Amino acid sequence: MAGRIASKNGFLEISFAWLFALIVGAVILFLAIYTTTKVVKTEQTTIDAETAKRIGILLNPLETEFETGKTTSIILPSETKIYNGCNNIGIFGRQLIRISQKSFGKWTETDIDVGFSNKYLFSEEYAEGKKFYLFSKPFNFPFKVSDVIYLTSSLRKYCFMSAPEKIEEEISLLKQDNILLNECPDSENAVKVCFTSGGTCDIKINYGAKYVEKGGKIMHFSDDALMYGAIFADSEVYECQLKRLMQRVEQLSLLYKDKTILASKTGCGSAIKSDLLAFSNMAKNFESSANLDSISATAESINEKNEGSSQCRLW
Amino acid sequence: MVKNKKFKGAQMKIQQMAFMLIAITLFFVLVGIFFIVIKVSELKGKASALEEENAMLLVTKLANSPEFSCGESFGTGKVNCVDADKMMILRENIDRYLNFWQVSNIEIRKIYPRADKEIICTLGNYPDCNIIRLMDKEITMEHSNFVSLCRKDFSDGEIHDKCEIAKLMISYENK
Repeated sequence: MAGRIASKNGFLEISFAWLFALIVGAVILFLAIYTTTKVVKTEQTTIDAETAKRIGILLNPLETEFETGKTTSIILPSETKIYNGCNNIGIFGRQLIRISQKSFGKWTETDIDVGFSNKYLFSEEYAEGKKFYLFSKPFNFPFKVSDVIYLTSSLRKYCFMSAPEKIEEEISLLKQDNILLNECPDSENAVKVCFTSGGTCDIKINYGAKYVEKGGKIMHFSDDALMYGAIFADSEVYECQLKRLMQRVEQLSLLYKDKTILASKTGCGSAIKSDLLAFSNMAKNFESSANLDSISATAESINEKNEGSSQCRLW
Repeated sequence: MVKNKKFKGAQMKIQQMAFMLIAITLFFVLVGIFFIVIKVSELKGKASALEEENAMLLVTKLANSPEFSCGESFGTGKVNCVDADKMMILRENIDRYLNFWQVSNIEIRKIYPRADKEIICTLGNYPDCNIIRLMDKEITMEHSNFVSLCRKDFSDGEIHDKCEIAKLMISYENK
């Protein structure tokens, strides 16, 4: 009998049809499971890449007009890690956003970075949670360079201790739940930001000398926009984004330098043309925040000259 | 004779199974191709939707980005004000800004005072023109926003600000 599987002698005797059905069945089952796993992984990667792109797009409305700062929040459906990457390749460098979401209790792994040339995101290496706060401020050097965006998780609390009045006022106007003034919860997710020396602080700020000390590293800043960047970002992210901002300063300086040619046709002088060229070269050679002082002085002097030409201001 | 019959029967079965295997493989390949086609078209749809969303959100804010905005060149700061001179210079250096805003084209059209014919601006005919096109592509799928387009003008022996109403348009690619 074809379907018989045991012989008279008691040996296992499997007919070819059975053996074939078993092997093919196993192969089909294996392929089905393998394909399903691959499809699920691909779907997850697609969702991660789509979320990263959507977050980047949602940063567009954070472009400020004449306000000093803007805040908003995003809530994602599952636990998410937003990785902040940055590189200085090309004319403007790239802002890279990568997403990893919790699925069936495990973090998804994706190597797809979504890149943007016109965004400057300051955050830790990654922010984790479901709700994230986005706060933006314009960075002027001396003309408006871009809006810088600070990304924080709602789980991380930043306690600003003894901040200058101007900063306190700005923070209280922002009404961002995870930034507290002069109080700090006793939690490992609380980051103490001190503006005065002494005491146990995670981040120390010397507002007069314009530097932030964080994790044993010093980050220099020129204005409040960069100070917040140094507070909310890792030093690697901060230095990289600052260099990217200088890459944009370089291009904008060239743009304003060329604008003087058109302006001269309407009778406006081009007194700062050579200053802008020199400033563009300084921005090009910018290495780290330690060089910020010298370039800031040049920016200030150019700004004074621009403001002096009242009817013919370039910016 | 019996052996020969058995051999032929086994051969027949092997043939049946081979055909069966080919049929099953073909079936799965077809199902796979069908699945991939659906997924790719879904993905293209999502990519297009994201491009559109980007263009829609960007157009409302683009006029305030430093490459376009008037800043304080025309008196106090103005919202949704585009500096025409800056945009002309940007047009000349657009190769440096390719893919910077991730849109396929940016164009600004003067709509008031109304012009009789459409003249695309170049450094040769500026400011006697009414369309500043940053990239050499036609505007197809677009989102737009009304802005004021300002420049310095020299007349009656003095420099003054001249602002006109314009439409800032962003074109995006349908994937």
